[in-house]
Amino acid sequence: MSVIDDLASEFARLPGIGRKTAYRLTHHLLKVAPEEACRLARAIDAMAERVRRCSICHNLSESDPCEYCSNPARDRTTICVVEEASDIRAIDSSGGFRGLYHVLGGCLSPLDGIGPDELNVESLQSRLDENVREVIVATNPSVEGEATAAYLHKILDPRGIRVTRLARGLPVGGDLEYADGVTIAQALAGRRVI
Amino acid sequence: MFLQRLSLQNFRNFRDEKVEFPEQGAALVGDNGQGKTNLLEAVYYLEIFRSFRGARDEQLIRFGDGHFRVAGVLEGAGGAERVEVAAGYSRDGRCKKVTLDGHEPARVAEGIGRVGAIVFTASDVEIVAGGPGARRRFLDIILSLVEPGYLSALQRYRQILAQRNGLLRNGASLPELAAWNTGLVETGSEICRARARWVAERQASFARYCQRISGGQPTDLKYSPSVPAPSESQGHSAAGGDEWRQAFREEIGRQSERERRRGVTLVGPHRDDLNFRLGDDSDAVGLRSFGSAGQQRTAAVALRMVEAESLRAARGWRPIIMLDDVFAELDPPRAERVVGLLGAEEWGQVLVTSPKPSEFGAMGDSLPKYRVVNGRVRRL
Repeated sequence: MSVIDDLASEFARLPGIGRKTAYRLTHHLLKVAPEEACRLARAIDAMAERVRRCSICHNLSESDPCEYCSNPARDRTTICVVEEASDIRAIDSSGGFRGLYHVLGGCLSPLDGIGPDELNVESLQSRLDENVREVIVATNPSVEGEATAAYLHKILDPRGIRVTRLARGLPVGGDLEYADGVTIAQALAGRRVI
Repeated sequence: MFLQRLSLQNFRNFRDEKVEFPEQGAALVGDNGQGKTNLLEAVYYLEIFRSFRGARDEQLIRFGDGHFRVAGVLEGAGGAERVEVAAGYSRDGRCKKVTLDGHEPARVAEGIGRVGAIVFTASDVEIVAGGPGARRRFLDIILSLVEPGYLSALQRYRQILAQRNGLLRNGASLPELAAWNTGLVETGSEICRARARWVAERQASFARYCQRISGGQPTDLKYSPSVPAPSESQGHSAAGGDEWRQAFREEIGRQSERERRRGVTLVGPHRDDLNFRLGDDSDAVGLRSFGSAGQQRTAAVALRMVEAESLRAARGWRPIIMLDDVFAELDPPRAERVVGLLGAEEWGQVLVTSPKPSEFGAMGDSLPKYRVVNGRVRRL
């Protein structure tokens, strides 16, 4: 196997990339300046070398504790629980949340053999000192995400911590006409007085 | 709305066939195995995007081909409205594609119920005489078509049920089980409430149809939920979502020990049933065990009539009625009364099939006849 095939088969192992796209990417890198290809290689190398799990919140970061856990400006009374580290970026870039995060590493799914022991639930519980007043559960609105939220509520509520869930409803700036029926029905169920 | 044009590509034994139907309907004649039922199956596929015979999409593809496509043009009275509903399935991608006037809806579920059709088949008797699964399937199909939110609740319920059963099989901790109970109760009580209300609303007309077909015997339709029905004294329909949720939660609490021992979910709409009872209240007997074949068939036809009535009420137009060789199953007086009933009511287009032209009776005489031979349809 040539080095070209080698690289292409590495690309093909990535999610969402098939054989054809893998070869297109490979040939693109052969066409551009060699420095550019090396820059990509270095970026991947550095990432693999330096990115670690944060020992507090399980976020992916270069530092341990991560930039959120070590930032003194963040609100330490609120923890937002997410399924994956990639969810943090989405929530944080909204600017609507200034507290801390906790990555579960998935959601409950008995059919896939995923129970509380497979998720970072215990480390969440150990983080809950007297400072923490609220846990916001930001798992996905799937059946499994909802069950995970219900589970967290079940185990955290007796400890006197306020457990909240992200609201569901219409996307901002979207056209009502194009929203799907399920979303509209949930938005109606969760309507509020103006 | 009526079906004005139907085109079939590689569907069952049809290779590439286009048929046009008049507003009143058609009587399809042909020997066994020529494609009469397949044609009705294709029309109903455009209603629920599944086979009414319970076949998988893959099995609907013509032997040796890789995909099928069905398209129907529906027209309102006087050509006022026109909509094209199309559906296809390809074996390679295992993907189903549904379009409404050429546009793909965000979910397949959003496209269902555009045709407005009901099929009466000889195997409908299984709903009355067979296991409870067939009766739940009947309820699920009609309620998915007429009750907003029912289908999505049902899909979520099934997913939660599978996960919860997985948990019970492997020995569940109580807090973990409780986490799944929340969703089970939430979606399950939606389903129970919709089923209870539908049966309560349709009971009277079911009894009336039975009486008119059989010419006598009162027959009663009753919802028999696995969750003890709340506020029994006021009738099921009075119970709202909160009452059902409460009842469901309590029953899960009562059964939780047994569930953990047996390793399976024992309460919920997946264990519901419908009861058909024959005779007066004091000495009523179950139609399923004690009814004659004729009485069971009568109830099955009446159930479809009620389904059509419900669909008409929800859609606001007359549904297309499809009768797949049902007359052969009924004795002549009953068959006459069914024809009379269909003639008297405000139904839409009628598509009827039979191997014997003589069996259409009075109905067949008024409908244009089509012959189905080996996957080809020809107007006579």
